[in-house]
Amino acid sequence: MNFPFRFSHQTQYRLLVLPYFAGTLLLVILPALTTVAISLMRYNAISTPEFAGIDNFLAMYRSSYVRIGLKNSLIFVVLAVPLRGIGALLLALFMQSKRAGFGFFRSAVYLPTIMPEVAYAVIWLWIFNPLYGPLNILLSAIGLPAPEWLTDPMLARIAIVLMMGFQLGEGFVIMLAGLQSIPHSFYEAARVDGANAWQMFWQITFPLILPWLLLLTFRDLLVSLEHTFTPSFVITYGGPYYATTFLPLLIYELAFDFFDFGLAAAVMVVAYAFLMLLVIGGWKLVQRRGLHV
Amino acid sequence: MKQPRASRLFLLLALVSLSLLLLLSGCGGESPPDKTVSFAVFGDPAEFAAYQQLVSAFEDAHPDIKIELSHIPGQGEYRQRLATEFAGGDPPNVVLLNYRRFATFAAEGGLTPLGPYLESSEVIQPDDFYPITLQSFEYDEQLWCIPQNLSSLVVYYNRNLFDAAGLSYPADDWTWDDFLTAARALTQDLDGDGQTDQYGAGISPKLFRLAPFVWQNGGDIVDNPAAPSRLTLDTPESRAAFEWFVNLQVEEHVVPDAVAESGESSESRFLNGTLGMYFNSRRGVPTYRTISTFQWDVAPLPRKLQPAGILHSDAYCLSAATEDKESAWTFIEYANSVAGQTIVAQSGRTVPSLIAVAESPAFLSPDLPPANSRVYLDTAPFIRGVPIMPGWVGVEKTVSEEIKKAFYGDASIDEAIRQATDLAQPYFDENTP
Amino acid sequence: MSDWKVWLRYFLAVVISIVFILPLYWAFVASLRPMELPPPSTIEWWPAEPAWENYRQIFDVVPLARYTGNSLFVAAIAVPVTTLIASLAGFGISQISDEPFRRQLLWFNIVALMIPGAAVWIFRFLIVKWMGLFDTLWALILPAFAATTPLFVLLFYWGFQHVPREMFDAARLDGAGPLKLWWKLAVPLSRPTITGVTVLTFVLYWSDFISPVIYIFTPQHYTLAIGVEIIKQMDLTNIPLLMAASIFMAAPVILLFWILQRFFLHDLSLANLFDRS
Repeated sequence: MNFPFRFSHQTQYRLLVLPYFAGTLLLVILPALTTVAISLMRYNAISTPEFAGIDNFLAMYRSSYVRIGLKNSLIFVVLAVPLRGIGALLLALFMQSKRAGFGFFRSAVYLPTIMPEVAYAVIWLWIFNPLYGPLNILLSAIGLPAPEWLTDPMLARIAIVLMMGFQLGEGFVIMLAGLQSIPHSFYEAARVDGANAWQMFWQITFPLILPWLLLLTFRDLLVSLEHTFTPSFVITYGGPYYATTFLPLLIYELAFDFFDFGLAAAVMVVAYAFLMLLVIGGWKLVQRRGLHV
Repeated sequence: MKQPRASRLFLLLALVSLSLLLLLSGCGGESPPDKTVSFAVFGDPAEFAAYQQLVSAFEDAHPDIKIELSHIPGQGEYRQRLATEFAGGDPPNVVLLNYRRFATFAAEGGLTPLGPYLESSEVIQPDDFYPITLQSFEYDEQLWCIPQNLSSLVVYYNRNLFDAAGLSYPADDWTWDDFLTAARALTQDLDGDGQTDQYGAGISPKLFRLAPFVWQNGGDIVDNPAAPSRLTLDTPESRAAFEWFVNLQVEEHVVPDAVAESGESSESRFLNGTLGMYFNSRRGVPTYRTISTFQWDVAPLPRKLQPAGILHSDAYCLSAATEDKESAWTFIEYANSVAGQTIVAQSGRTVPSLIAVAESPAFLSPDLPPANSRVYLDTAPFIRGVPIMPGWVGVEKTVSEEIKKAFYGDASIDEAIRQATDLAQPYFDENTP
Repeated sequence: MSDWKVWLRYFLAVVISIVFILPLYWAFVASLRPMELPPPSTIEWWPAEPAWENYRQIFDVVPLARYTGNSLFVAAIAVPVTTLIASLAGFGISQISDEPFRRQLLWFNIVALMIPGAAVWIFRFLIVKWMGLFDTLWALILPAFAATTPLFVLLFYWGFQHVPREMFDAARLDGAGPLKLWWKLAVPLSRPTITGVTVLTFVLYWSDFISPVIYIFTPQHYTLAIGVEIIKQMDLTNIPLLMAASIFMAAPVILLFWILQRFFLHDLSLANLFDRS
């Protein structure tokens, strides 16, 4: 080690990382660890926390409210993640052309993703309005039934899935990058061998894009633990009849409506642990099959 | 795995800079001027304006105390913010709390009881208040907060629509049948397209709205209001009231169905003049005073076997973490004196809890609607409160969802009652020792 | 590709783009409907009498100008701070020669990246309290000091990874220290990344809804995101007003995105950040 004020270059590089590291420790890691600690306590924000061991986890198991939240999030994930993933892939395939104007088209696809969540949710709140919203008016005008979007439980979930389905910009960009990274020579060689577009896709594109797709899926799974908050809060506030009470809203309500921070933390910990297991398991699977990013 | 020394040093540096950051930031905050009282309220902008006036009047009368007023629109978010505030250990000194919600804060030691302060006050006395209001803020044999208002559920009606339908205005002792007759007459399909364009009535399908109907029919929503241990919507009297309530939509269709309500809320329809009668407490008045397209007035709840009203009341509470309790009390005292309550009453938002102010022109003034403000005071003897217990919020929330299901035809009455009773039970169980 | 296939492709691309833009367009049209009129029973493709004054009304109903100013203040500080800290950290990590340590740092990043927002709500609140920043805009800016999200650090890191080492080594031989290296070499080379991070950071802070809900208590400090929610709570059925507020909030983001998206969507240069196998 050198004297102070004459740090070696390597040490200086580490110092460059220091602000970020310290900040993240304080603002991200520490709160997350505290949340895990809280899941083991009974805490209602007014009196001091008391140790409660696994009581919260047992309560979670027994609570029908928690079960509903988990079920809703599961339904959401099963519907939304494939929709967004496959949608992103198809759109990327279609829009990757370098022809003039396609830059504009790509931007159009990215547009809903970049919109502020609150504004986007409020706009869809009106679009899904069963009486005056343009969607139902359009559907009736062309003779299709106008669903009761926000008043029927399953339709409300589908509405939020649809709305968030448009926000696949991140996946879109990742897919674009992945497609770009496949060397053209592969396609040239295949064409020389007489392969058609369909075969080229399944034999070249799909296997090489798979790691990206999986990466995207994993990220989407984790992100769904957060991003359903604003839509479910602004548009339906968890209704109708709890149908859109997804995990983030559930946790928020447990903490701030019922003042049961311990239970909220427990739900968070369990859901998250489950997701992590899924992601890590999937990742190990991918690695074993030799796919690398 | 042996870590290189450099990375351990790195970690050490990180922790050191972290602690430095924390220490330095501790010097950052500015200390507030002496005698500042923070005061948090919720409500519409019109209500907020009233509190702003109250605060400046107070500061004029007491120049040595400054009030920091913060306002959160809507009640839902307010509760959530309060939770985070209390969690942080530095909640507002004076908070406005509803009687259905204060018990949790009191039970957990978040509040300081104001009973002793009231006893020794020279400005206000317990006898000055409507008794039911003080009773509603008693828990564990102490008075915790000073109530500012008492309101019941009343019916706001559109006089123009009544005139157009040839109906006479509701009498003070009108019954459920009178109400239904009027509602049927007012529900009309104006343009002949098969869809109802004008509804006779609108009411929120929640436990808080259902309760007075149950009481009027001689039933109750819990077995023992003083020490509730179960929901009693399944008794014959309660069930009958529940059925009548639910049939307003399911059978009579005099209120909007789920789709119509979702497309445009009942209150919005009332404001736009396409709904004849809307059930609400006094809270709606500041907003309804902005109506310019029709005349409106207020009528008491239609009655059944016995008159009954349901208490709506908010109170000024003192948080236990407050250091300068004296200044906070001075403000609370002022806000609930004749002077203070008069100011807030003029906004139209409150039915004052001080008998003197309620009976005064500030509240009963005929210049601004509703002309029939006496209605609120006449129900005072019959007003009952919902049970006061921590966790009542949970009971209301879960039971209201079931009421809603039955109301919109998504569940049968008996199913809804059964579900409601089962779901609410854990909240009661938590409270019985 | 034969001609008609090209035209088909263009046609489909146009249709898809329209579908994606349509909700926004509908909202814009709805925002221009005069407020006194009852809700429309048909789809208006352009209002008969566009009520541009609705956009002025949103400022009268709530102090939206103030809220916007607050949002701008937050973004104006958070964006440069984030970009700076992320760039420094990404660069620093990429230049660390101690392999195991570098990998540890990367893992740290990935772990931090996977922590969901909800896990940190309440206790970030306590930290904010200790620092005396509660109910100030600084509470909203705070995450910038942790580069807002580890993703940005990773973006810079990946970018720098793909700069040939020779460029850095040459500069090092000339006697440049890390800071100089960063400023003179790394920063100019990472322009697309800087652009991307800047835009994304701005959007994040401008749109942030949950943080002000938790940390801000007095109306003077509300941000635009809260402003929209307040307008919605006040008058849920005044559609033109609500839509005007939403469009107003979305407009700067869309504008910024429009100007800068050419840097990462037109020539697909984002690919430069990723490995070519």
